Amino acid sequence: MVKNKLSFEILLLLAVFTIATCGLIYELVAGTLASYLLGDSVKQFSFIIGVYLFSMGIGSYFSKFIRRNLLNTFVEIELLVGLVGGLSSVILFVLFENVGYFQFILYLLVFVTGCLVGLEIPLLMNILKDRVKFRDLVSNVFTFDYIGALLASILFPLVLVPQLGIMRTSLFFGMINTAIALIVCIALKKELKRQPLLLFKAAFCMVVLIIVFIFSEKILSYSESKLYGENIIYTHSTPYQRIVLTHNKNDYRLYLNNNLQFSSADEYRYHEALVHPAMTSAKKAENILVMGGGDGLAVREILKYPEVKHITLVDLDEGMTRLFKENTVLTGFNKNALNNPKVSVINADAYVWARECKQQFDVVIIDFPDPGNYSLGKLYSLSFYNTLQHILSPDAVVVIQTTSPYFAPKSFWCINKTVQQALPKTDAYHIYVPSFGEWGYTIAAKNPATDFKSVKRKANEKLRFYEYDFTRLNTFSKDMVAADVEINRLDNQILVRYFDEEWGKIQ
Amino acid sequence: MKNGEKYNKPSRRSFLKLAGATLLATPFFQFCKQEAARLIVKLTGTNHILGHRLWAKDFPNPSKTVTTPLLIVGAGISGLSAARQLRKKGINDFLIIEMENHAGGNAANGENKYSKFPLGAHYLPLPNAHDTELMRFLEEEKIITGYKDGKPIFDENQLTFAPQERLYYKNNWQEGLVPRYGNSKALDDAFNRFFEAMDAFRKEKAADGLYYFDIPISATTPDGKYRNLDTITMMQWLHDNNFNYPELIEYVNYCCRDDYGLGVNGVSAWAGIHYFAGRKHGADLDSVLTWPEGNARLANHLKKYASDNMALNYLAHTVTPTDSGLEVLAFDATTQQTVQINADKVIMATPQFVNGYLLPNRKKTAKNSIYAPWLLATLTLSTKPDEPGFPLCWDNVLHNAKGLGYIYDQHQSIQQLHDKTVITYYYSFAGNDTKKSRKELYSKTAEYWKEFVLADLEAAHPGIKNITEEIQLHRLGHGMVAPVPGYIFGMQKQAAGKPIANRIYFAHTDLAGISIFEEAFHQGINAVNQLLHDTTVDS
Repeated sequence: MVKNKLSFEILLLLAVFTIATCGLIYELVAGTLASYLLGDSVKQFSFIIGVYLFSMGIGSYFSKFIRRNLLNTFVEIELLVGLVGGLSSVILFVLFENVGYFQFILYLLVFVTGCLVGLEIPLLMNILKDRVKFRDLVSNVFTFDYIGALLASILFPLVLVPQLGIMRTSLFFGMINTAIALIVCIALKKELKRQPLLLFKAAFCMVVLIIVFIFSEKILSYSESKLYGENIIYTHSTPYQRIVLTHNKNDYRLYLNNNLQFSSADEYRYHEALVHPAMTSAKKAENILVMGGGDGLAVREILKYPEVKHITLVDLDEGMTRLFKENTVLTGFNKNALNNPKVSVINADAYVWARECKQQFDVVIIDFPDPGNYSLGKLYSLSFYNTLQHILSPDAVVVIQTTSPYFAPKSFWCINKTVQQALPKTDAYHIYVPSFGEWGYTIAAKNPATDFKSVKRKANEKLRFYEYDFTRLNTFSKDMVAADVEINRLDNQILVRYFDEEWGKIQ
Repeated sequence: MKNGEKYNKPSRRSFLKLAGATLLATPFFQFCKQEAARLIVKLTGTNHILGHRLWAKDFPNPSKTVTTPLLIVGAGISGLSAARQLRKKGINDFLIIEMENHAGGNAANGENKYSKFPLGAHYLPLPNAHDTELMRFLEEEKIITGYKDGKPIFDENQLTFAPQERLYYKNNWQEGLVPRYGNSKALDDAFNRFFEAMDAFRKEKAADGLYYFDIPISATTPDGKYRNLDTITMMQWLHDNNFNYPELIEYVNYCCRDDYGLGVNGVSAWAGIHYFAGRKHGADLDSVLTWPEGNARLANHLKKYASDNMALNYLAHTVTPTDSGLEVLAFDATTQQTVQINADKVIMATPQFVNGYLLPNRKKTAKNSIYAPWLLATLTLSTKPDEPGFPLCWDNVLHNAKGLGYIYDQHQSIQQLHDKTVITYYYSFAGNDTKKSRKELYSKTAEYWKEFVLADLEAAHPGIKNITEEIQLHRLGHGMVAPVPGYIFGMQKQAAGKPIANRIYFAHTDLAGISIFEEAFHQGINAVNQLLHDTTVDS
């Protein structure tokens, strides 16, 4: 009898230990996810911890209303914690796309988990109060509780996240929670009422968690995670492309179809260089066109000029522009540029749109993906640049992202030469972007008298990279020059071949 | 579907890359093996029901009379080109009648929600620089936008976009139409020897300064040095010149079937060689002009010269010379009436098998021309077929398949993506018995042809059935004249083209011997020029 009593007590204290560990893990998971997905980790962690502790208090308060079937309720709550806590990260990952509800759901989950964990400790003390001396009870329960918390907080950053990843960590602890419930169910069979039903519930929860655990790779596309070597915090497939956002230390990276689109750490270099030489040298800068660039980062730079009256952004992918209008992490990058009243976003095929466009623009900024296939190659063809002519105002300046003059000099100079065929006043420049390498642009004007070195206006805030000195970007070393390149035409698409040849060597 | 070759341009894509892609693509097709929802099958074609009424000629008596100085029968390219030439010569008073409900003949097109597509001829190779008439037409229509260093600049948007053509060969797509992967040295040598021989034919001129092979054929030298090649089959020539390699024979066979409707065993060696030697720019200017709707674009350019004078759904059924001119009876299928057209002169821009019914004592002459039937199938696919080796091209040919492969109808679009993919499959019959083939074409059900087309494409596109949403089958009973041995330089054909009594003139590709746009274009011009010349001489 004594022995029996001992095992009963030890089992339940073990449960306390696990609950404490799991509870803290869920809290950490929520905090980490919130800071990944919403940014500002101090604020997010602080809020999550606050809400979690507060809801634990609420749970504790409600524990006094549970009078009957204490052990049964304990097991059931244990199962609920396992299920809700375990699935929380999965739910948050999946729901991140519906940004509007995301914060609500995040805090709801934190609140529910907190309440349930808050219920458990008082409940357990009530169960044990007649079997153990009060002094021992309080001391033991809190000892195990705090040991569990310590263990969780050490394991989480050092072992769990690196080994399992966030999603599987929470699922794994959901399973531990459920396992404890199962063990209690089996070991304390006689103490429980309607034990078979409870056992069934526990087994059911376990199966659900195991299944989700197995498929979690698919949900998160673990293969991608390995591919990027960074934490994937968001993935979204539009009809046109797969968008992946990763986070690593202080750096967010956006990939489109596995190609790096920008790194938050150095994208200002790319976008300042893309936008400002054209914006400063154009005679007029009222009506601006951006083609591609659905991330709104180029638009952010353009909005630094008060002279700008209207910006038209033409991007094929509605999924992309919507994301950069609505997602709080991403609108943080583009300073909410796409929601600016001066900006119209048009989701259309740029080539078809340009052909039918009736407006004229003072500055045109072209930020298409690299010409990696024959479809994209059309957007770098002579025919396309000729099509642009009629939407350019007489003094318009056009700038085109032109891939890397270092990795792909033939591609770079092929685009440059093709543009020159349509707009004879053409120049080129390049910069260094750490996450990309050496990167370049072609700048061209309709009016041959245009001077790209001239500075007709400056941005209304300090730039981090561009110093209004075009000549500094305008010289190319020997290894970035390719002579004898052909003009890219729709009927030869020579650029796609150059590009394939040059990047093929590297990848 | 396109001649000319890019044999010496190496493919820049490595084989390993393709092999990897094959492995990746295979499970996808295995995965969706279950039958997709029933696909829609549509059947179209030339109006053979109306045409076949010429057999019995049970038409009502004329209830209306029309008078015109000049009547053109047939609004295919020959007829339309004749109309254009008349206008150029300041003659606006003429009529043109056409049996079908549209002009253009073989240069017709269809259209669905996703794309236009050809229902026949669908490209024009870059013309020879000395073909000034055609060059002028292309300038007029802004297809040639200017000249640089004496060379024409073609509108980039009307040239085939890259990548142009690929071949499914040895379970892989490769760039170009000549089989290249895994060839033995002997086979490569044979191909090189073959193309060198074709190059020589292409360049060779007779003492009179004219080419032995040229377009139009009427522009070739009268020097008979190679005329004997018109008496043997292409197969015989390949055999005589030690080109006994199955891959090479299949390649040449494809080219002949593609342009002439019959293969190496059916067409004459002269015609087979002409395919390679008639166009003078060779591999260095290896592009063609094409449009989503095929040559219907060119037909539309020509139509503007004729549309005010045109009556559609008019089947001419009897042409009778009278003392004062000609009496042409035409059945108006819309009103079901026969109209009597009194004309001073008529240009018969109709094929000879039709002329056999229309003109007195022409049956024997008509029998001399043999016409190959064709089947076209336009497929609407739910996804773009992405396969290993080389991406989807304008022209996609399957080595050793029954058909001639397919055209990607949206290839000439500047759009990045399309909701559905539309392709047009071409089939010319294998056997030389064109009557039997024609019977097969019309007697077999749409269901049969649907299965036939899908099975033929299946080799290169496993599971294509599951992504096919719609098939439009288009039947051309008399698709084109076949240049069988003895036809091009035969006496019968020359007799068929001779004007009758300075009143009836003839213009049709079957009088040239090969059915291509350039020939039809010149047939129309030449008929008008001859008619005007005779008129001037008369008066």
